[in-house]
Amino acid sequence: MVQHFFKLIWNKKRSNALLIIEVMVAFLILFGVMSLLTYHYQNNARPLGFEYEQVWALNINSQQDTSKVGEKLKSIYQRIRSYPEVEMASRTNGNTPFANNHSNRNVKYKNVNIQGDIYSTDEHYAKALGIEIAEGRWYTRADKGAKHTPAVINQIAKEKMFGKDNPLGKIIQLEGDERWKIVGIVENFKQRGDYQANTPVFFNLSDWDMSSVLVKVKPGVDANFEAKLMLEIGNMQPDWVFELSYLKTLRKTMNQQTSIPSLIFSIVCGFFLLNVALGLFGVLTLNIAKRRSEIGLRRALGAPAPAITVHFVGEMLVIATLGVLIGLILAVQFPLLNVFDLEASVYVIGMLLATLTIYLLVTLCALYPSIQAARIQPATALHEE
Amino acid sequence: MPLVVGKSKIMLSNYIKIAWKVLLRNPFYTFISLFGISFTLLILLVLSAFLDHLFGSHYPELQRHRTLYVTTGTMRDSARTFSTKGPLSYKFLKKNLSSLTTAEDYGISSVFSSVNTYVGNKRIKMMVKYADPGFWRVTDFKLLEGKIFTQAEIDQGAQVAVITQKIRDEYFGIQESVIGKPISFNGSTYRIIGMVKGSPITHPYTYADVILPYNCPKSEYDAESINGSYTGIIRAKKAGDFPAIQKEFDQLTQRRSFPFDEDGMKVSYLEAKAWPFLTGFVYELFSSDRNEIFFSIVMLFMLLFMALPAINLINLNVSRILERASEISIRKAFGAPSKTILWQLLVEHLFVTLIGAFIALVLAQIVLGIFNQSGLIPHSDLSVNYKVFGIALLLTLVFGVMSGLIPAWRMSKLKPAEALKGA
Repeated sequence: MVQHFFKLIWNKKRSNALLIIEVMVAFLILFGVMSLLTYHYQNNARPLGFEYEQVWALNINSQQDTSKVGEKLKSIYQRIRSYPEVEMASRTNGNTPFANNHSNRNVKYKNVNIQGDIYSTDEHYAKALGIEIAEGRWYTRADKGAKHTPAVINQIAKEKMFGKDNPLGKIIQLEGDERWKIVGIVENFKQRGDYQANTPVFFNLSDWDMSSVLVKVKPGVDANFEAKLMLEIGNMQPDWVFELSYLKTLRKTMNQQTSIPSLIFSIVCGFFLLNVALGLFGVLTLNIAKRRSEIGLRRALGAPAPAITVHFVGEMLVIATLGVLIGLILAVQFPLLNVFDLEASVYVIGMLLATLTIYLLVTLCALYPSIQAARIQPATALHEE
Repeated sequence: MPLVVGKSKIMLSNYIKIAWKVLLRNPFYTFISLFGISFTLLILLVLSAFLDHLFGSHYPELQRHRTLYVTTGTMRDSARTFSTKGPLSYKFLKKNLSSLTTAEDYGISSVFSSVNTYVGNKRIKMMVKYADPGFWRVTDFKLLEGKIFTQAEIDQGAQVAVITQKIRDEYFGIQESVIGKPISFNGSTYRIIGMVKGSPITHPYTYADVILPYNCPKSEYDAESINGSYTGIIRAKKAGDFPAIQKEFDQLTQRRSFPFDEDGMKVSYLEAKAWPFLTGFVYELFSSDRNEIFFSIVMLFMLLFMALPAINLINLNVSRILERASEISIRKAFGAPSKTILWQLLVEHLFVTLIGAFIALVLAQIVLGIFNQSGLIPHSDLSVNYKVFGIALLLTLVFGVMSGLIPAWRMSKLKPAEALKGA
């Protein structure tokens, strides 16, 4: 029977070619959208890896002041920690959570060379952000002055560099011939917001003059304290610039940078599909109207009504299959050529979802006209003839 | 001659009447056709409105077509292995821009930075920009109250501020006048001398909530380095002067001894360019780490996106014209020439497309109006670009007419007997 459908479609390949192209283009667009949504969904499904609700990020810019910046930064940090409203504070480089500020370096272990996000922090970082340690420990004050800088990595960095081996205690090498010793592993750390891809992360204990402070305040602390804090540390260094932001707000903005374009893209795509569905529906109704006599003849020769419905839906599904097949040949190039640095599973799920949607759409569009076709009375149809 | 004109007028009104009847005869197909046409046009209109908002001349950069932007400087060592890139320093820009002889005017302002200010237990986040008096001359800010700062305020070292209406509403509440009132942030207090209509964040070189004279505290205007936190705006007399200005600016920036020391790096190459807004944007985009494949694929997707409604329209038209086969063959049998039949169908297509275009126009106005009101981009003023509308309309017509008329033309070539038999 399927063979028969193919034969029928081949006989009218000119008029069906356009339909096949339309299905193919719709499939490709759906494949793109579905892959994008799958990618975002997979990334969003992994936990953030830290708490941000009560945490403020303070960026300090010493401007043109160059005398004893380190000591001045240290005294500001100590002042912040001395407030009773502050639960915990940690010094870090400018790439604080949800900041548009990144630091990348090449990291090497034996012959594996990967690029990762580097977070240089002090020993209180994990506590201020509520980071949970999966294996090993976070670095402490006692690690200072050790031969190798202590470092904590995330799960994906471990998998990429060490595979199944235990990384604890291993020494990794950085650009510029620095050597770090791994003391702990965390599951996730998505500094770029909920939709960040799973990329390697390396934390290390730093002695440098770190110019940002993460301030975890106690619950119920409001802008009154913030104003007081800003005024007092502002008075400590009147020529410096202090910039304070809430991680809560930054996260929202960061996530919107991904979610709003995706949402608009999906809505536009949805309308295009509706357009296609209506078009298919119209074309099919016209085609069936043209084939009234054929339907009448089949009915007169004893074909039951469901057989007519199945026939027209079947023909449409064969057209859809041809369109999807051509589309799949093109879509499969994405994982094969590794166009974007994405896991193959994203594309596979994208293809599956796109195929399913196309079949669903085509079946829905074909069903109503096909049922209408099955209702044609053989007598009237043949009489018209 | 007048007779012919009169006749074609009657024919035209007849064709339109027939087109109207055809539309009403099958409301479902009419709906599908109109939905396809108007929705596709709507997407194009909204998209082009966004692009126009980003790249066109809009408040407060109304003269973008004759404006050049100096936004970044890149420095490399002799082996080109290390590079630093960023906005420029005030002194570097001042030195080079003030020597330009081919330009009409220039302005220098800092990249906006955020500060917090506190009113009671409320915190207000504001974007601050430091600017020279030239900044006001090369932009077209609308002054709502008071005045802007000039060289006189710079010379006095006055701590004055020009704020936007948005900050007035948040900081002082909606009231009559803010002129002369103080505003405090970053450990300093400024006297407000003017209030302007704000710029949307999508215009990064003019966006700010508070604009201060460049010699206010913490502006870093006296830094001696090349990289800094400032960008320059050059206004030309006309767009035709761009090549001359760009050439002169290049020569000015290269007028120094290489290599020189900057922040511990031996700089052998210095590149600071004056670009028209769009060129600068594209240049930045392509020099970023995303590769060409990425952009080709994005382009391909855009093309597919646009192709889909076109294919849909063609498909529908091809099917629909067959529906009219009997009508066409009967008209042929009664002696109508092919040309007349084609004319009639052409008018019908024009008629449907124009209705679709009108719907699209109305919808686009509504969508953009809602967007402007939504505050997703504060101060945005998106509007329909009629040039794009015209091009899109033409394209729709081409696709519609091609897909509708080619089968019709084929049919009109048939001998009436054959056509009637087929029908």
